[in-house]
Amino acid sequence: MITPLKALRKNRFKTALIFMSMSVSISAIFLISAISGGVVSMYSAMLKTDGDIIVTQKGIADTFFSDINRSQMGSIAKMEGVKEVTALIFGAAPVDPLPIVGIYGVSENRFKSYALTQGSSPQMGEVMLGSKIYETLKHPKTILISKKKFVVSGVFKSKIGFEDGGVVMNVEDGGALFHKSASIFLITLSDLGKSDSLIKKINTLLPEGEAKTTDSFIDSYNQFKIIKTSSDVIGAMAFLMGILGIVSMMSMVVNDRKGEFGIMRSIGLSSRTIIFKLLSETLIIAVLAFAVAWGVSQGVLELIEHADKFQGYINGEITFTLLCNVFIVSVTMALLGTLLPAIYAARIDPMSLIQRGGA
Amino acid sequence: MNIIGSALEHYYGQEYILRGIDIEIKAGSFTAIIGESGSGKTTLLSILSTLLNPTLGSVTFDGKTIAEVGNIDTFRRHNIGFVFQFHYLISYLTLRENVALAALDETLIDPLMESLGIERLGGRYSDEVSGGERQRAAIARALINRPKIVFADEPTGNLDSKNALGVYELFKRFSDEGTGFVVASHDKKLAEYADTIIEMEDGIVKKIYQR
Ligand SMILES: Nc1ncnc2c1ncn2[C@@H]1O[C@H](COP(=O)(O)OP(=O)(O)O)[C@@H](O)[C@H]1O
Ligand SMILES: [Mg+2]
Repeated sequence: MITPLKALRKNRFKTALIFMSMSVSISAIFLISAISGGVVSMYSAMLKTDGDIIVTQKGIADTFFSDINRSQMGSIAKMEGVKEVTALIFGAAPVDPLPIVGIYGVSENRFKSYALTQGSSPQMGEVMLGSKIYETLKHPKTILISKKKFVVSGVFKSKIGFEDGGVVMNVEDGGALFHKSASIFLITLSDLGKSDSLIKKINTLLPEGEAKTTDSFIDSYNQFKIIKTSSDVIGAMAFLMGILGIVSMMSMVVNDRKGEFGIMRSIGLSSRTIIFKLLSETLIIAVLAFAVAWGVSQGVLELIEHADKFQGYINGEITFTLLCNVFIVSVTMALLGTLLPAIYAARIDPMSLIQRGGA
Repeated sequence: MNIIGSALEHYYGQEYILRGIDIEIKAGSFTAIIGESGSGKTTLLSILSTLLNPTLGSVTFDGKTIAEVGNIDTFRRHNIGFVFQFHYLISYLTLRENVALAALDETLIDPLMESLGIERLGGRYSDEVSGGERQRAAIARALINRPKIVFADEPTGNLDSKNALGVYELFKRFSDEGTGFVVASHDKKLAEYADTIIEMEDGIVKKIYQR
């Protein structure tokens, strides 16, 4: 282990360049995965609160466009195995002076899932504010949503950034604001075993609606797929950039150290030994770069989370799984990036050590 | 190890360099290849030492061709030592670590360095010692696995004449203990230490002297 460290120290400048290029790539992968994962997990957490089954309008691309009629809520609530049905409206509107804010119209029975820190749940014409937006708007008594005035009845704290930066009102008020009855129903079950048969019953009852388990809804939700795909693409690009950075730097390193690898071949060290030596050098850099990128990403995420500008909408978390995955990615990056230059190094002909012609 | 080169011819591209050489290097002998610059010494030494394949002709090591000796790395590691004009010591390793890099048996390192007079320099780096000391460390690296034969091309090319003679004396000493040496140099003084002298001229062996 001491030899690769010595080699790295000797080639300080290039080691530093490889280290920096890896740190940047790994940080990019950390951040894009954490942030996209954060968005998805915030949204899924919101749906999973009191929702084993989710009902949307059939065939819509986004819950924002969904419109289903609340009139059937009572019949669903009476079905066997159903504990509770809540209705939600998702909307977004300007809240003076903010250009766009998430607005949630929810049926009265859902108010209990918001942890009030002051005041009370909203009556008609009233709203409660997430603590984040409450701070941003500097503790207002009333707010203007799309020029319509609402009284602030209370403040709640939510770990879900969307909600904490949003406004919650009665579903009727939301319906008037966004011209729909409800975006989705969330159904909690008293008996999870009945979910399949309940989904069938609900789909018959609401021909224009579509019931799914919340988990399968989240899995198949288009917006999540788009977010995930773009984050995967950006992550893959960062990964490739990282590899290319290592390949080009390591090629220079190998070129600088031709004599070293030539002499290793002449004393009979195997190609595999030489490849292993170079791999262990970049692996050390990779582990260090991983650690630094982890720290940097954690710091950046912290900054983003507390930046007023994002109102808590961007909220990434480096989970243990993400940490492990990115570690594997970092190691793979180092190995793939070093392999070609290392193979080249292992093939350096000791004949090149002989001073040709002349003497 | 007996090395026999038969009907060796070598071209670099269109250039006809070695023009038919038959040669036998006897096990344990100290062979000097001397001749003018450009006469083909380096080319011949490279062919006899596994580094270069001749265009025509063959080389055998105790009767085996290069294809028959097995893994070339293992073969070199156990049988052949190399000394080049430049020392090629790895700069981030100490002299002792450089020798250890090649060593199959690390207990041999210290006694060998002592017999080469560089035991006190083991912890130094190549840029902290003199040219002669560097070349001694390179020789230690070539000798560490007790090779049957050491090939050296212009090993004193970067040394002053006093250090050059020191190197020849070292070779002589290890040769007397049984290690074979094939040394190519345009330095005529080398001849005084060798038991076989091959004189090259324009890609052929002009003369072979035995002592
Ligand atoms: N790689 C090469 N390509 C082309 N010509 C070469 C090469 N190596 C050596 N030569 C030529 O071959 C001739 C013999 O070279 P060499 O074996 O190095 O002789 P010496 O070691 O006696 O000086 C010289 O004319 C040299 O210019
Ligand atoms: Mg030469």
